[in-house]
This record gives sequence, structure tokens and C-alpha cells, in this order.
Amino acid sequence: MTESSSKVVKIITKKDLNSFVDALIKDKTHETIGVKAKGKRFVFGPLEHSRELCLDYDVTILPPKKYFLPQYEKLMGFTLGNSFNVQQSNTEKPLILIGVHPYDIIALEQTDKLYLDSQKDDFYKKRREQAIIIGVDMQQVSERSFAASMNTHVTDSGFDLLLTNIGDKYTITIGSEKGENLLEKYAKTKVAAAAEIEKRDEIQKNLASKFKKNLKVPKEEWSALLVANYNHPIWEKRSQKCMECSSCTMVCPTCFCYDVKDDVSLDLKNGSRIRTWDGCLLRDFTLIGSGEVFREDISKRYRHRFYRKGNYLPERYGFIACVGCGRCGIACLPDIADPCDVMNDLSHFERSDNTGKFFIKQKTEEVADKGLIHIPRSATIKRMEKMTESEMFFEIELDDKKSLGHKPGQFVEVSIFGIGEAPISVSSGPSASASFELVVRRVGNVTSHLFKMKPGEKLGIRGPLGNGFDVKSFEKKHLLLSAAGLGIAPMRSLIQYILDKKNRKKFKDIMILYGAKEPNLVLFKEEIDEWCKIVDVTCELTVDQCAEGECWTGCTGLITTLYPKIHLDKYDSKNTIAVIIGPPIAYRYIIKCLQTLGIMDKNIYVSLERRMKCGVGKCGHCQINGVYVCKEGPVFNYEQIKDLPEAFE
Amino acid sequence: MKPRVAFFDFSSCEGCQLQIANLEEEVLDLIKIVDVVSFREVMKEHSDDYDIAIIEGSIMRPMDEQRLRRIRNHAKILVAFGACATIGGVNKIRNQWPVKKVMKDVYGDVDVENNEFFKVSHTKAINEVVPVNYYIHGCPPNRDEIKHVITSLALGKKPEIPNYPVCVECKKNENVCLFELGKFCIGPITRAGCGAICPTNGSPCDGCRGILSKPDVECVMELLQRYDLTYEEMKSRCTIYNTGVFNPKDGMTLVRRGKNE
Repeated sequence: MTESSSKVVKIITKKDLNSFVDALIKDKTHETIGVKAKGKRFVFGPLEHSRELCLDYDVTILPPKKYFLPQYEKLMGFTLGNSFNVQQSNTEKPLILIGVHPYDIIALEQTDKLYLDSQKDDFYKKRREQAIIIGVDMQQVSERSFAASMNTHVTDSGFDLLLTNIGDKYTITIGSEKGENLLEKYAKTKVAAAAEIEKRDEIQKNLASKFKKNLKVPKEEWSALLVANYNHPIWEKRSQKCMECSSCTMVCPTCFCYDVKDDVSLDLKNGSRIRTWDGCLLRDFTLIGSGEVFREDISKRYRHRFYRKGNYLPERYGFIACVGCGRCGIACLPDIADPCDVMNDLSHFERSDNTGKFFIKQKTEEVADKGLIHIPRSATIKRMEKMTESEMFFEIELDDKKSLGHKPGQFVEVSIFGIGEAPISVSSGPSASASFELVVRRVGNVTSHLFKMKPGEKLGIRGPLGNGFDVKSFEKKHLLLSAAGLGIAPMRSLIQYILDKKNRKKFKDIMILYGAKEPNLVLFKEEIDEWCKIVDVTCELTVDQCAEGECWTGCTGLITTLYPKIHLDKYDSKNTIAVIIGPPIAYRYIIKCLQTLGIMDKNIYVSLERRMKCGVGKCGHCQINGVYVCKEGPVFNYEQIKDLPEAFE
Repeated sequence: MKPRVAFFDFSSCEGCQLQIANLEEEVLDLIKIVDVVSFREVMKEHSDDYDIAIIEGSIMRPMDEQRLRRIRNHAKILVAFGACATIGGVNKIRNQWPVKKVMKDVYGDVDVENNEFFKVSHTKAINEVVPVNYYIHGCPPNRDEIKHVITSLALGKKPEIPNYPVCVECKKNENVCLFELGKFCIGPITRAGCGAICPTNGSPCDGCRGILSKPDVECVMELLQRYDLTYEEMKSRCTIYNTGVFNPKDGMTLVRRGKNE
């Protein structure tokens, strides 16, 4: 409160406050939003008269996030068919929000950290910059709120103006120049006297005693408590009652994960890409095109929410992503969602000193096109070749004729307007030309549609995205590259880089192991034959099964049967970097084989698959514990993530 | 080539097809992307040559089953349209009693025994008779969802039907929860996609889009107690569209949500 004391404070009578609000409503250059009654509850909504404004409310049903990340939001409009015509319009009026409680102000500041990081969300940014926040100190405390325990019941920042009811009048603490100008233009105020400021400070100080609900665990200890109790029966027990409705995340001011869908007009001519709120309690949150669900068990989904709030985001950004508003506690029918109850239940159990278990610190690649994170670049299909019944090879050229500029291991989001977006690994090595290659397996809507397209047709491309291989650290080492199934596609990008004449000398011996299901599912067979001809490059192929009469000269059996044939002496194993790319099931077995060969965990690299939807660490779908696969991955150093509980489950 | 679409109805009120007729001027857009070859409610022509069959209504009689199988044989894609077709809906209420009793209650002493048209069995949803490719849920279905399914099929993509409960949409609409108002709503376990239209207008969800998961019986009992509701209230709400799903005898065992159909 020391800081807010240093801020300029004005005083306004209740009558003048109403006139101020009415003057704001009258000015139609902005939209004036305030807290209004809805039955016995309260909501933020457009004001038509100052009479509607309730400043003595307890809590609103939804937090003000709905004005910055709306429930349904058009990211872009587009034309279907063979042209690339994307329109983005944002003609919304600036907003003035009246009556925001301190905990909601703090929640918006937290959202800023995520949405205005190095990959800024343009829509959110514009709304936040335009908006004016007029906060109000709490006059009623919701029964479920524990904001005092979170120290979010008062705030020194995040508002343009802050109102405090000191009895017959309100003090207005000025938080910004914008706020000051607004007052000057629309309100009749006086400079507050020392006694009035003292009264405000006293009210803010006494507020904490009004809270019925309090934490038994200091919020600083949440993280340690959660880390120590990841496998505690509480998650299983409490989640048994969960209805999987995700109401808790919908009403939460610090839950901002989203989903994206394409809507098309009935004449199939136009469409729009719509972003809408999603929740990690919902089963399909981690569903990927091939049908795999990475967090199927409800107890894990239930647990994820608390860990995201109490450990994952705190480790990343330094704040607990819960402001104690109590909305989830009100919204949850079986009453299992309240973080205060959960932490108090856990308070009897042990704490841990370990903080990094669910989180890795890793440098992330900057997105090449920093302009607009949602808008794809126009590209054209140059060449298509059917590789197997369910895999197609694509050569794609960016229409701006610029190089994709990717590193091996990175991916792109392929966009077909009207159908959707899908993350696909780049299969060609880095190159100066504007074209790059992809191998697409037909699994979901986007990939199935890609199969029906023809050379010359347009696509959208976002990326390159994610963290690629740190090829520099592979120099002067032997490389043991294991690809299972479709893993050969991203692996080919790495192999092409390594085998490039400019680069080949930087690396020692190269061994490529590749396992496919059947002989006719082996991809890039001719290219692999060419690789084998290069000095110090060996390739071993195997198929799980080979029908009688099929022509196959390689081995038969799972890829793991190839490793016992490899002989590395101690010296070599220390100097070997191993890379694995394959389906989730393959990793554990291949890693065991590599360890048997004496390869150290720190020298093993993997590429993981999750539901990478936004590709820029916002939508939340690809999170493995505290790690965003789309940002920190998909390429990971095994030693760094081997203890990440969800990574290899 | 535009896909050829045919509409058929079984035991139903034909209100679902009316939702399409009610698209009004948008019907003109619709017929630009599909050829409607059969639609009793709006046209007299009929053809048996179609790609997509859209079926309204539930199946009551052996003769209906035969007709449905014939349609299935003709159609490349079969869509169950509306609650009667997708889950049996209100037509299933009578499955609570023996067929004989139901016939007696409705027709009294009239001799229906020897009339083929009155040979009825228990009510079945479409997928209890033939395989269904896609579902358009609801009573009546949401017009936006109808458009979504038709445009998706015309584009050759799998429609994206919500696999989460009505609460998600209800919360987005910022409604006061009906439980807080002392009403029993089955929104928490009912498939969304309706935009939570009933709760938004103050009427509890009756589950017309089908049940996603059956909650733990203990949890439901606790819920009833907390909100001062009775088991009877819950049961009657659950039997409107979902007779058989909530059988007190099987104790509403916990069934977790699974793959989207």
C-alpha cells in the first residue's frame, strides 16, 4: 500500500460519480462496461445508465477476461477455394471497464505475461492497450473468495483509476495518465484530504478480516507442496466426483486456453476462423488427429489444472495463477474445484525442495514471422507424390518466395481454409529456396483434405515453429539416428542437413536405424539407398512383419532388434549423440536399448508429439506438465525431460 | 458433382426437417451445394439414387427396420437427425413398460393384434438397427449445427460435434446456474452444441442431445442434497429423452466420457 499512497488521490461525491459514469456512457467513441445485477448474481455488461452500476457486488459470474479474450472470437475471415484471401478486421471500440475488483485486475496482469510475451497476441494486445480499467476496492466479500490469503484483495497497479468507498464519498486513486485525463475530461473531483486518504488506507487494511475463507498454506508454499504430492491419492479421490464439465476453467480469470475452429457459410464461399474458450478438464483437450488422447484419465486432467495454477505457471512467470476469487468454488456442482480446499487438504502433507521437476528451462526459438501469430502465409503445392496408402509427399513453396528458414526438427502449421490447421514436421533439410517438403499421414480432417488437393492449389503456412535440433552441439560426434514409422519424415530433415556436402565433415560416423511396419510402408527407400553409399554412413532397416512372397532384404522384427548388433566401445559411446523420432510407444524401448549401448542420457534427443494447436505457447493443448511442446519442443534433450511425469506415459 | 441428399422420417414429429425448411432463404444456398432428391415435407419428387440419407425419427416396428435397412443399402453416408433418431428421445419413454401394456393403454379394446401397422417392438434409436456415420443431435437440432454438418459433408470433412457438456456453453453465456435457482438441470452430463439454449432461457436442460457420461451415484446424491432436490425430480428429467440411461437398478455407475461418435 506504500506505493498506492504515493499515487495522486482525488475525491468524488456519490452524485458526481454517477454523473461521471453517465458522461462516459454518453460518449459513444468508447463502450462503457460496468458491473450489473443478473438475478442474485452479477455480471460485467454494457451500461445504459449509471443506475445499473453495482459497485458493492461480491463477485461476477465471469471475470472481465471475456472482454479481452472473448468466448467466441473471429481471428480472420477467408475465401474458400483456390485463392489465398485472408482478411483480418478489428474495428472494436475501446472499452472502459468500471468496477473491476483488485483480484481481477491482478488476473489481467497475469494474462498479459502470457499473451504479451515475445509472441504477442495481436487481438489481445490491441484490446488491452485501448482499454481503461476503473477498479473498485471490494465492498462485499464473496463467501467463497480467499483473495486475502492470495494477497490479491488489494492492488497497487494494473488500474487506470481505483475507486474506494469511504462512506459518503469515493476516493479515486489515479493509476495512469490515461486515467487522469479521463477524470479531467468527464468528472468533477477534488484533491483528497489527508484524512480521506487515511480512511482509504484503513479500509484497504481492514478488508482482509472480512474473508471467511482462508488458506492454511502460505501461497509461497503451493509449488513445493504440489511437487511433493504429485502422486497423492487426493487427485484420484476428489476427481471421482468430477462431472468433467470444465465449469471451473470457464469461470476462472486465469484460465485462458483456447480452441480454434473454421466455420464456413452455407454456400461454401466464405468462412471465418473462430477462437473459443477451451478447458483442460475436457477429454478432447489433448486429443490429436490420430485419435490419441494424452490425458485420458480424469484424475490426471483434474490434477493438471491445480499444477498449472500452483506450479507450472509460477515456475515460468513467477506468479501463482490463482487470484482467490472463488468463482470455481461457486460454479463446481460437486464442489471439488476450489483451490483453497485442495491446498488446505494437502497442507498436512510433505513439501519438497525440488522445484524444477515439471518444468524445463530451455531457450526457445523466436517465431520467424513476428508480425501476426495467427495469420498464415500464402503457399502453393508444387509437387505431390503418393508414398503409401496413407502417406503423401508434398513439396510446398511459399508465395513470397522467401525461404522457410527452418532448423531440422521444427514444424509448421498447415492451414486449409474452411477445414482447419494441422501441425506437420518439415521433412526437408534447411535450404535457401522458398520450397520445403512435408510427409503427411492421413489421419484427421486437414490431412485427409490435403490428400484430395492438387499441385497448384493454395495452402496457409505458419512457422517454422518450435525448437529444432541444436545441430551445433552434434558436431565432432558420432550420430546414431533412430526413426520409427513416420519418424523418418522429420529425421530426413536432420539427415539431409548432416549429409549436405558443406556440413558432412563436421560430424563423425553416422548410423541410421529405421523401423517400419511392413516393406511397402518403408518411406524414402531410394533416398536411403543413396545415403548408404556415402562413406561412414550406415543404414539398417527393419520391418515388424513381412508377408510371404514380399520382396524384403532387410531385417524383420521391431526396431529394438537392431541395437544388439551395434558394437560401440566405451570411448565411442561417450562420443555418440543419439536421436529418436517415432510414435509415443517406441521411445521407452529404444531409450533402454541406447542406455544398454552406454549412451548417456544427456546425449539422447527425442522429438515428442502432442496437440500443437496455436504453436506459440498460448492455447495450452500441447502442455506436458509445465512444458509447452510447441515452444520448448518438439525436440527435447532426454536428460532434461526424462523425469517429466507425463512425457513418456 | 454435388452430393445427392435424401431426407426420410420414421416415428417423429417431423420438426427436425422443419428446421431445414425454416432456413428460409438459406435453403437456396443449401441447394447450391447439394441436390435434394427426396424431402417429403417440401417437395413431391422422390428418387432412390442418393449419396447422403438424413434420417429423422426412431424405429418402432419391424417394418420400419426393413425400410431403414433398405435406405442404409442405398446411402453412402447415413446421418441420424434429431433426438428420436440419435438416442430414441421421447419415443423411448414407453420402453419403461411392456409393449402390450402400452398398446392397451393407448388403443384400449380396439383390435390391433392382426394389423401389420400395429406390430410394434421397443423403441430403438437408428444406430440400434443400422450403422450411423454422423449425428445431428437435439430436439430440435440447432440450425447452425445442421449447417455445419451439411457444409462439412459437402467439403468432405468430418463434422466437429462437441464432446463436452452443456455447462461449457452455459458458462460462456454467463447464465446464473439453474441449480442455484433450485432447479435440476442435466446440462453437466449432456452433450453441448445447442448453445445452451434452454438454460439460457431459464429452462433446465432435459438432455435432448444425449448423455455423455453417467456420474457417480454418490456424487449425484450429494448434489441433490446440497441443492435440496429430490431423486424423483432427477429421475423424471432424465427419462424425458434418455429412458434406459438412468436405471436406478444399475445404480448410475460411473461411466467416464469416451470417444466422440
